[in-house]
Amino acid sequence: MKKYNRREFLRAMLIGSGALAVNTILSACRPKIEPDQAAIPILNTPTNAPAPSAYPTDTTKPTPFSTATTPPTSYLAVARGTDPEMMVRRALASLGGMENFVPQGASVVIKPNICVAYHSYEYAATTNPWVVGALVKLAFEAGAKSVKVMDFPFGGSGEEAYRVSGIEDQVKAAGGEMVVMKALRFQEVDLPDSGKLKFTKIFDEVINSDVLINVPIAKHHGLARLTLGMKNLMGTIYNREALHQNLGVMLTDLASFLRPQLTVVDANRILMANGPTGGNLDDVKEMNTLIASPDIVAADSYAATLFGLQPEDLAYIREGAARGLGRSDLANLKIEEINVDA
Amino acid sequence: MPKRPLSQRSSVKNTILNWVNLRRFMQILALILFTAGFIGLARGSQASQTGKILIQLSPLTMLANGLSSKEFLSFTLLGLILILAAVITGRAWCGWLCPMGTILDLFGFLHPKQKKQSQPAEQLRQIKYGILVIILIAAIFGNLTLLAIDPLTLFFRSTASVIWPALDRIISAVERVLYPVPLFSDAVLWLDDLLRPVVLPVEPFFYRSTVIVFLLFASVIGLNTVAVRFWCRYLCPFGGLLGIFSKLALFRREVSSDCSSCGLCEKSCPTGTIDPNRGYASDPSECTLCLNCLQKCPRSTIQWQVKITPPLWMPYDPNRRIVLAGFAIAAIGTAVLNSEASSRRPSPTLLRPPGTIENDFLSTCIRCGACIRACPTNALQPAALEAGVSGLYTPILIPRQGYCDYSCNACGEICPVQAIPPLALEEKRTQVIGKAYIDQNICIAWADHRDCIVCEEMCPLAEKAITLEENTVNVENQPITVRLPKVDREKCIGCGICEYKCPLPSEAAIRVQNSSPMV
Repeated sequence: MKKYNRREFLRAMLIGSGALAVNTILSACRPKIEPDQAAIPILNTPTNAPAPSAYPTDTTKPTPFSTATTPPTSYLAVARGTDPEMMVRRALASLGGMENFVPQGASVVIKPNICVAYHSYEYAATTNPWVVGALVKLAFEAGAKSVKVMDFPFGGSGEEAYRVSGIEDQVKAAGGEMVVMKALRFQEVDLPDSGKLKFTKIFDEVINSDVLINVPIAKHHGLARLTLGMKNLMGTIYNREALHQNLGVMLTDLASFLRPQLTVVDANRILMANGPTGGNLDDVKEMNTLIASPDIVAADSYAATLFGLQPEDLAYIREGAARGLGRSDLANLKIEEINVDA
Repeated sequence: MPKRPLSQRSSVKNTILNWVNLRRFMQILALILFTAGFIGLARGSQASQTGKILIQLSPLTMLANGLSSKEFLSFTLLGLILILAAVITGRAWCGWLCPMGTILDLFGFLHPKQKKQSQPAEQLRQIKYGILVIILIAAIFGNLTLLAIDPLTLFFRSTASVIWPALDRIISAVERVLYPVPLFSDAVLWLDDLLRPVVLPVEPFFYRSTVIVFLLFASVIGLNTVAVRFWCRYLCPFGGLLGIFSKLALFRREVSSDCSSCGLCEKSCPTGTIDPNRGYASDPSECTLCLNCLQKCPRSTIQWQVKITPPLWMPYDPNRRIVLAGFAIAAIGTAVLNSEASSRRPSPTLLRPPGTIENDFLSTCIRCGACIRACPTNALQPAALEAGVSGLYTPILIPRQGYCDYSCNACGEICPVQAIPPLALEEKRTQVIGKAYIDQNICIAWADHRDCIVCEEMCPLAEKAITLEENTVNVENQPITVRLPKVDREKCIGCGICEYKCPLPSEAAIRVQNSSPMV
């Protein structure tokens, strides 16, 4: 063991503290996460619309507005059919095409529901793989630079869940990338404008991407009654258990922060009971429906009706509508219903 | 010009030096192979068979398992490989391949400088034969508690529950420090993708009994401070078993008459088996073929030859007394262990991997820790006293640390002796590990009158074993409606995901309890 004299000891301490200081400074140099303010809402006001102040006027990411877009013909598109890819294409076309959401060279994150690794897609616990695959294709067709698909399962590992759900195969076939959400990459985030969720850890790719596409599958849920788009965003954060208190407020807080540009509710197969994990084919109902909208609250509202519920029956929809996150008054919205097989 | 003596010719020296280098190379290679085998034990790995076979190489565990479970399955034969090797080359395994031996050599700096007076007594060598007899006789009585000190199970178990998680802590800390620095971000991500999940787990793993596993491992290495390779000389039952067959070793160390009695070989022998009183001959049951003596000898009087020799019996070799003593200790020890409370009634926290039956399990599990490594959710952990002293280091499931993944059957697939039966996923899903119950005194819904339902949400069964019942209570004259969780004990399989995910900070409000009837 080398014997230190005082000078050597002081030198060692100085170098050590210097290194720590440099590291702290360098770490602080990363950009702080704050919701940025960009102005323009994506779509036209529908007929009979109330004053624009009721609309979401900020988005976390700059609104992609390409001069080459076709004007959207609806605020919310509902496609019915048996070919998931065609349903996605037709619904997106009604919303003005994927170019309306994905600018050239954008980095896209698609967030399906891959919450468990227990069952294949027929059990309606995870999003239909062909819906996800179609979205990947459309994103690339619109000029995306990268398309990454991810979820943070609560039952089973990411790798296993991606494989068992069938989503990995479709995403890879479409040229996308599956990303396992590892602990290292969850960033601490302050949400100062929140009702309840003031602080959480969100996966950095979700925060940093240009476009976030939310692709839930419509399922029964014990607490939320239904798990749809707003609940699906829980898969982006690390410590989910705490959100189960005051779920309505928490989900609105989270959705207001993340503001996915597009929400596509997969209702090809829906889980009527024993959600969100499923496991019984008797609980699965084939609805052959797909709902798409830039408004997460509106998409969830329409999806609720598929289960025989009214939007107001769900606490998070009430909260989201009340705080201006989106619209739940379906009667006033421009909804286009597309029959794909016809 | 006088010819240089044979021993000093560079060609001869080079050859001898090459053998020693080859041995050191083989030691490192074998340690890497064992570590790679360990890494391969992870669920879903392509290399899981490698790890399994490496564990099945131990003749001691295979023989003990066979005697105890009264079943000799095909893999038991792998143990014969090293027995045969011992008959040919003596204890070369100890000096060339054993991962514990290599680790002990790497910690060789701990040992005192060789002094004749401070060497422990030769008779101590008999202890390892005593331990061997105890293990085998206890195995016949169905008790495998002492298999915890087999060097291979010691290696795999200690790596799984001590070395790997500690390594993960260090690597994770480095990653966390460097990742926020933009300069290093990409490099850290690249390293992280390389390591996880193949080498290290994606989520950090924690082991409740990590310290007591560490203490055993450190003690074995710490014995180096008393003498070089203390463990191998005096205690290792694996070495003892190989030692018995090494008495017939074909490949032997011989000292020719040129010997000048310089004593250099004796000083360099790590097992201390070179005896000046017998012309610097060695005991083949103790010699690990390290070849140090070959390298040190100035005259090349030492050679290895192939010859058939009658076995050499030393005073410390197994004799009738040690066998009888071992028998007595095994009998008494087994009787004492069977008097533990755990033999009457299982502890409520005794949860076993799915598919195991407790009475059979203690007599088949070889305490290797492969299942602990394979478990992807950190649910399986080495037991402390949950199953009594006789269950030390056997795998138990601790739901608050990790849940049994509904999509996984890795433990059964990896168990080298099928103590955990290899079940297809569908069948594994029907195995009952325990039953969940709700502590209504602390449950958020029951005690605090607020909705939570995490346990119901997480229950993986197609027909959930937890149901929610709406109930209205009057709290301070206000009616509050809460969804109360209730467990259907008929359906519950005790996977523990409910207990794991319960949002309470320390003890969960829903817990899985041992429910197996004592047969």
